[in-house]
This record gives sequence, C-alpha cells and structure tokens, in this order.
Amino acid sequence: MSTPAASPRPESVAARAVNASKVYGEGEAEVRALDHISVDFASHQFTAIMGPSGSGKSTLLHCLAGLDRVTEGQVFIGDVDISASSEKQLTLIRRDRIGFVFQSFNLIPTLNAAENITLPMALAGRKPDQAWMDSIVATLRIGDRLTHRPSELSGGQQQRVAVARALVSRPDLIFADEPTGNLDSRASAEILNFMRAAVDDLGQTIVMVTHDPSAASYADRVVFLADGTIVDEMLEPSADGVLDRLKQFGG
Amino acid sequence: MFRLTLRGLVAHKLRFLLTGVAVVLGVAFVSGTLVFTDTVKKTFDQLFASVYDGTDAYVRSASVVKGQFGPNQRGRIPETLLPQVRAVSGTAAAEGQIQIRRAQYLDRKGKGIGDPGQGAPTLGFNWNTVRRLNPFALVSYGGKPSRPPKAIREVVMDLGTAKAEHFGIGDTVTVSFDNAKVPKDAFKIVGVAKFGDADRPAGATVALFTLAEAQRVNATPGELDGISVAAKPGVSQTELVGQVTSSLGRRGIQVITGAKLVKEQQNQIQQNLGFFTTFLLIFAIISLFVGSFIIVNTFSIVIAQRTRELALLRALGASGRQVRSSVLGEAVLVGVLASMVGVALGLALAIGLRTVMGAFGFEVPTSDLVVKPSTFVISIVLGVVVTFASALLPARRAARIAPMAALRDSAVESRRLGRRTAIGAIIAVLGAVLLFVGLFGASNIQLVGVGVFGLFIGVAVLGPVIARPVGRALGAPLPRWRGMPGQLARENAVRNPRRTASTAAALMIGVALVGLITIFASSLKASISGQIDQAFRGDLVVVGDAGPGSSFSPAMAERIAKVPGVAVANPLRFGAFEVNGTGQFLLASRPGELNRVFDLAPKLGDLTTLQPNQIAVSKKVFDDKHWKLGQKLRTKFPEQGAAPVTIGAVFGRGQREGLSDYFISLDGFDTRFTQHADSQVYIALDRGASIKEVRPKVEAVAKDFPGAKVNDISGLKAQFETQINQILGLVFALLFLAIFIALLGIMNTLLLSIVERTREIGLLRAVGMTRRQVRTSVRWESIIVAVFGALLGLVLGIFFGWAMVTALHDEGFTQLSIPAGQLVLVVVFAALAGVLAAAYPARRASRFDVLDAISTD
Repeated sequence: MSTPAASPRPESVAARAVNASKVYGEGEAEVRALDHISVDFASHQFTAIMGPSGSGKSTLLHCLAGLDRVTEGQVFIGDVDISASSEKQLTLIRRDRIGFVFQSFNLIPTLNAAENITLPMALAGRKPDQAWMDSIVATLRIGDRLTHRPSELSGGQQQRVAVARALVSRPDLIFADEPTGNLDSRASAEILNFMRAAVDDLGQTIVMVTHDPSAASYADRVVFLADGTIVDEMLEPSADGVLDRLKQFGG
Repeated sequence: MFRLTLRGLVAHKLRFLLTGVAVVLGVAFVSGTLVFTDTVKKTFDQLFASVYDGTDAYVRSASVVKGQFGPNQRGRIPETLLPQVRAVSGTAAAEGQIQIRRAQYLDRKGKGIGDPGQGAPTLGFNWNTVRRLNPFALVSYGGKPSRPPKAIREVVMDLGTAKAEHFGIGDTVTVSFDNAKVPKDAFKIVGVAKFGDADRPAGATVALFTLAEAQRVNATPGELDGISVAAKPGVSQTELVGQVTSSLGRRGIQVITGAKLVKEQQNQIQQNLGFFTTFLLIFAIISLFVGSFIIVNTFSIVIAQRTRELALLRALGASGRQVRSSVLGEAVLVGVLASMVGVALGLALAIGLRTVMGAFGFEVPTSDLVVKPSTFVISIVLGVVVTFASALLPARRAARIAPMAALRDSAVESRRLGRRTAIGAIIAVLGAVLLFVGLFGASNIQLVGVGVFGLFIGVAVLGPVIARPVGRALGAPLPRWRGMPGQLARENAVRNPRRTASTAAALMIGVALVGLITIFASSLKASISGQIDQAFRGDLVVVGDAGPGSSFSPAMAERIAKVPGVAVANPLRFGAFEVNGTGQFLLASRPGELNRVFDLAPKLGDLTTLQPNQIAVSKKVFDDKHWKLGQKLRTKFPEQGAAPVTIGAVFGRGQREGLSDYFISLDGFDTRFTQHADSQVYIALDRGASIKEVRPKVEAVAKDFPGAKVNDISGLKAQFETQINQILGLVFALLFLAIFIALLGIMNTLLLSIVERTREIGLLRAVGMTRRQVRTSVRWESIIVAVFGALLGLVLGIFFGWAMVTALHDEGFTQLSIPAGQLVLVVVFAALAGVLAAAYPARRASRFDVLDAISTD
C-alpha cells in the first residue's frame, strides 16, 4: 500500500526537503533526529506529519519552517534554499512567506486579538488587506473578540486568533505544531475544520504535526516518520486507517 | 531551609551580582570616605604632634575675636615679654613666634609661586633659634651647606620649593608681602630646610627669616604672635605653665601647655575635615538609598518569578515564616558579601580621593591608610541593614504566596492601588510639610533632609499609580514612529507598573538632586549678577587669587590712582571683629570716594563723612537690633581688644546683598588693625575715559603684585560663575554615582524582564521579528522607563529648587532662575542613559535561540 515518499508531481511544491539530516551532539552522544529525509509538500494541500515521540516530526517541521537548520542536505521554501539563507533572511522568510500556529503560547499578551493577527504584517511595516482580514475574522467567528487581550480569551479562541494570524498575510504555507494539543475535542474539531476550509476555500497550504489520528484525518495526506526517516504515507486518510498504520510502527 | 537559600543564591549568581553592585558602590563610598578622613586626620595629628614636639608651654594674647566665617582672630603680644619668659626658673629655652600673613616667592620671571586661592599656602615664619622648638631642619643642598638666617635680607627656603623652582644656596630670590612699606624685597638664600621628614608642609611654600626681619616684612615691629617655651628636664608642662603665668602676671596674656596647643590644632583640622566628611557621607547615603530601590526591585521580581517554586514549597509543608526567612537569609548573604567587597573597594577609593585632593592643591602627606575597626563595622552594618530592610517587603510578599499559586499560570500583580495611593499621598504630603517647616519655619536642615527623603519615598510609592498613564503618554508616538517594536516597547514599559515605577524611582532621586542643584546654582548666579549690577558703580576691580582673603600692599591702590584716566581707586579691606560678643565681618574703604564705586543705598546719617571712631551698619541689622543713630556699640577687635564705636550711618545693602553689614572708614580700620593690606581695589574712571584704554595700564600696575587680577563688571560676574561652576562640577560628579547606580537598576530590571519574557520573544522571532527589531524594542522600553524617572525627578527637583530658593530669599537669593535648557538636557541625558543601560539586555534578548525560546516552559 505504501507509495514512495516523493509524491507524484503536483502542480507546484510549497516546501521541499532534499536528503535532509539533523544531527545533535557528536561521537557516542550523537543523535540523528532526521536521517536523509527527502519529502515534498504540495501547494494547496493539507499535510499531516505523524509519528511516535522522538521520531523527528517536530524537528522536521522546525527545519522546514526556518526555525532550525538542517545539518546536511537542503530545505526549500518555494524555490528558495533556506538551508543556505542567513539568519536575517530566515527571519524575513518566516515573516513574509510562512504562517505559524503553535500548540500553546501563540499570542503576545500585551497585544489585543486584532494586533496579534496583524503582528507579522506590522513587523514588516505593511497594512493588512482589510477585506481579506474581515473575511478571515468572520470565518473564524472572532469578530467580537478583536479588542480583547489574550488573557481574556478561551483556549479555543486563542487558537482561532492564531490561525487568523497565520492566514492574514496569505503566506506560501502554514506550519501548525500540535495546534489542538491543548484543546478539548469540540474546540479541536472547530480549529481543524477551519484549517480544512482554509485549504479548500482559500487555497492555503498547511503542514501540521500531530500525534492525534483524528486530527490527521482532516488532512489530504499523512506522512509517517520513525527514527528520523519517512516510513510511509497515506492519502485521503481516515482516523481509523491512521490509527492502524501507527500501530504497525509501534507508535 | 538555609541550604535552599544558599542554593538559590548560587543558582542565580548573575541576578544577584547587579543587586550586589548597588550595595558595593554605596558601601565603598562610605568606607572610602571614612578611611580617607581618618587617614588625613591621623597624618595631621602626627604632623602637629611633631611640630610642637619640643614645645612645653605657649604664651599668647588672651584677646580673641570669633570669626564669622573663618577661624578665630587672635591679638599679638609685646616682644618685651620674651626676656621675662626666659628668666623663668623652669624655662630651658624660649623663642618668639611670628607667622607672616603673606610671604610669596617670585620666580625668575617675577611671577608668584604657589596659589593661595587654590589651597597651596605661601607661608612665612621667623627662624626659631631654639633647635627643639623648630620643626624645620637645615639640610645641605646642591653640595653647599645651609646656615640659619642671621641678618636682614637673608632667607631659608623650604627644600620642596628649592627643588621645584631650581633655586640654590647663595641665589637671590624675591619675596612679595602685603606690607605697604615693603611690598617686596630681594633676599639671599642662606639655607634650605626640610619640614620633619617632608620637603615642605602639605604643598605650601615656606620662607624663614630672622625674628627682626619677620617683624619688618610683616609690619609688626616689637610684636610677637606668641612665645614657645621649652622646659628644663624634670619640669612638667603644667608646672612650667604655672611658673610662666605667675612670672608674667599680666592680664590679657594666656599661657597654655604644649599638649593643649597640639590638641587645639588637631581639633581645628578635625572641624575642617568634619564638614568635608559630612559632605561626602551625604552622597554615600544617597547612593545607598538609590541602591535600596534596586534591591527591593530585584527581590520583588525574583520572587514573582519564583512564585510557583515557592508555592510548591508551601504546598509541601513549608510555613510562610520559613519562606520569608529564606528570602531574608538570601538578602543577608548578599548584603554581607557585597559589603565586604565594598569595604575593599573603599580602600582603593580612599587612595583615589587622596590623589584627587592632591590635584586640587591639597597635598596630603603620604602615609599608611588608617582603617579603623569602626570603619569596618559601620560600613558592613550599613550595607547589610540596607539590604535586609530593602528585602523586607518582598519577603513579606513571598510569605503570603498561597500553595494554590503553584497551580496557577504565572504571577499576578495584586491591584490594590487604592490603598497604595492613600499611603503614598500621606507620605509625600508629610514629607512636603516637613520640608516647608524645615525651610521656612524652624530653619532646620535635618528636617529638610527628612522631608526630601519622605517626598522621595512618597512619590516612589505613588509611582505605580501613575506609571501606566504616564508611560503610555510618553510612548504614544512610538507605534507610529517605530512601528510594532515601538508599540511593544510601550506596552512592556507599562505592563508591570510597580516594577517600572521602582526602577524609575531610583533614577528619579539622582535627577531630582541634579535639578535642585542646577536651579540653586542658576538662581545664585542670577542673584549675584543682579547684586553686582545694583551695587557696583565702578568700571574696574582688582581682585586677588585668594578671594576675600587676598591681601595686597596698599602701594598697588596708590599707583593705580595715579594711572591717567583713573578717577578713583578705592581699596577694600576686610576684618573680623565682634559686636556684642558675636563674630562679624567688617568692610573698610574710603567713605568720601565710596559712592563713586559702590551704591550701598544710604539710609540714615552721612556715609561719606564717616569718622574713624564711627561705624555704619546695614538697615536690616539696625532694625533687627533696634539700634539708634549715635548709639555706642560694644565691639571688640583682635589686636585692640574691646573698643566701642558709634553708629554714624545706616545703609541699605548689607550681607544679604553680598556685602557686609558693617562698614568702617579706612582710617578707622587702620587704627584698629595692624594689617594694612588691601583685599580688593575698586576703580572708577574719569568721565570720558574708555575702559579699553585704561584697563591695560591698570593691568600693567597689577602685574607687579602677584595674584592680582583686573576685571570689569562682566569679568567679575564671570569669576563668580566660574567659582560656582567649579563647586557644581564636584557635586555633579558625586551625584553621577547615584545616577550610575540607577542605571544599573534599569539594566537589572530589563535583564530580569527579558528572561521572564523569553517565550514571548521567541514567538515574536518565530513570526518574523528581526534581531534589530528586538533590540529596538528593548531599547525604547528602557528609554520610556528612564525618561519617566527623569521627569518624576525633574518635577521634584524643580519643586525642591523653588522651595529652597524661596526660603533663602532673605539670605540674598533674590532671583529664582529655572534654566529650562539645562533641565531639558538632563532629560535627554537620561534618555541616552536609558539606551546605554539597555545595550546589554537588548543584545541578550536579540540573541535568544528562537527554538529554545519557544520551547521554554
């Protein structure tokens, strides 16, 4: 059932890892978090990365997002080889071309929801497209929360604001690191539906790390990692199918 | 619990380093001051003890006049007493003593050596023929032997001056005096002498003559300052004093033991040093006070950050008391360690102070530093007590942390600002009341100090209430100007008002004092300038380098009067005398010509025809004492003793206007004082004569008199301003320490804050904040805090300045001057200082590893 890691040619590739390795420590203490991984992430697709803890899924996400550097190989965002980029260039790529949703602590406590949403654009000194902003806010149903500080928002609302921030600058792709890890099932489902809708209706590209099979089932494609290598992938996954596959790898 | 305390300290070394530095600097200042003054005192004590080593008794005039500003003035005794003293059975030897008022060597170009105005005295004495009574010892110099002076026009020079100015035995040197008949004279150097072990006494130049020669150049023939007596073996000092007293048996003569003479001199020095010690200690206390804000802040922040840890301890069964003890234990440890380092640094500071004093002309003979046990105890106790007291409040807060806090997310600042406002306002108002009572009612400087202290504390307590609105307002233009980093800077500056306020309060203190001193000095300058404009009618003035203590031969005024274009050259002399037993300052000049150079604002009687047996007094004293014209005043002069004078006139401009409350004619002065030397000469030009043409001619005359300087009105004002600026510079240098400590406080708070905000900074970096933007943000946060502190300080400083100048209105502070430009500069300086303080924290924040930062728990 398994297909090669490199997916069949989509219309375009949003992010790509080529023979990428990440090694921590040296000699006997050497830990190989990523081991010669090559993988493409197609535009306008929702991809989930799964694997047991220590499989390297978070490391892969961090390296793809320009938060960390690979030790060997290359990482591309679009056509740009970010493994060769300077710290400053990486920062600007993160700001202008990538959106982020983290598991927790997504928002700056001193800024209100609206300011948090437009934060990356404000850092770039740009004004958001108001119509686009309005439509995102409406879709995420946070219009009445815009002037509130994060401490006045529920966990689900905070994550929705984070998703709005990730969407507002129309990034090339959005990385989500366990975005529903701290939420109850209802709030989780809401967030995942929004992310699904962002891909389907707004044409966004999302790469999400999760350990939750039901979260992964919202994706178009699931990539399975174990011991720093890609061991399998699945298209159009169902929660049960993902769970079965995970069991095979001892996750 | 104690082990936990110790662990906490070791684990957070850096955190406590900066707290420690605040204590270290304050303690170093205290111990440095104490060590320095103890060392100077001991040096002088030893000096006097050795100078008067052989003196067992001293005979002098009993007539003494209290000085209003300077030391007491004592009369002289007749030389005829000398044989009588020598004839006393217990006397081994006796010799007269004369200190010449001014004996200044001239170098080969005719310029005066030494600078009496800057504290390097130009001393002259008679050569004491009795070996054991003479602190000077002849040495051979340049391969030639020395001998004592034996005839007129012979001098013995101190070794220091001989070396410095390349004079040799056999050379001729010119010495200038303030004697009308002998303005200067040439002398043959017959010997060179050391002063004890030193080349010269404390930076002074010394000229030693025969007794008769000393009397000649001092214009005091037949008179002595005193007689020093050495006892025969087996005769005690007290016995000798008894014998001499009964032998002389005269009124008006005082005989004291050598031991008492030494004690008197030592006390005099101690008194002079006392002022200096107090002055330095005030700044040391200010530094510690500023430091205490930093300590409070550091402990508060650390406890806020450790809330979960402390709550966990509480949940595990530690009592609130144990938590409090743990925090206080930490404070004591920091206090002890920092105080010890401070004392060590204080020793270095004492050496530095000595060097600085040397540079100012107060050469202090080198000797070992005197470190008294009390210096150790005072410094360390002070350091520990300040640290401990500063940690009390944070410790109380720590003890109140509920075990449940372990489960909550992070520290929540309690919001009882209402109570805080009330307490702060009460303290501030109490401080202001004390300040006003001290300034306007009781004239009590201690009350003023406590009031200022109270206002500082009150405003610091009120700080958090206003920190948010003021910080917001200050940062208002930032979002537009600096974008998102600016907005974040503003929000961060006000997110924790208590922290912001106490950080700013430390800076507030230094800035308030700078503001106060600036306004005070500016008002003083304006007032003096105004007084000169009102009182001075002349065109030129000749002043000396020793201020009012300068003395010139009257020949100078006589020669200036003959300069073409000069209408009047009116000399001014100053003297000390007593009125009804109180020391006063007496001004003497020629009454007939006075109104050409001065406007004393005559009120009663005729000032211009004041007789030698009359005195003119200021309206203020005249009214205060309810005197009448023609009334006899009970006055006493140093040399003449009690001698009443009659009030002949009353004038308007007295001491309050920078002049004197008592005026006498030159003739009247000369019959009462033997020193007929001029301090200043005021010159009015002929109608139509131009200052430009006459001034060089006057200057040509003044050149012959060392130390004389010719000024016009603006020059006179400039000279006063220079003097004020010099003192101002010293005060600012000392206040700079307080500001420096406050900057350490800002740096400390920022460091702790960015550590607290690690995740936030990580998130910002992840979503695209550049390192430069991070730095910008931290920097502007620092600037807001610094400017907030500076503004608080400025408001208080202006208030203090206004209160002080208003209170001193009757002392001559007629004008309140608030130099806006300089005060704005202070705020700009504070902002720049904020940038400086932020440099390291900003750099650190920008270097956080993004991945580490976002995954920090």
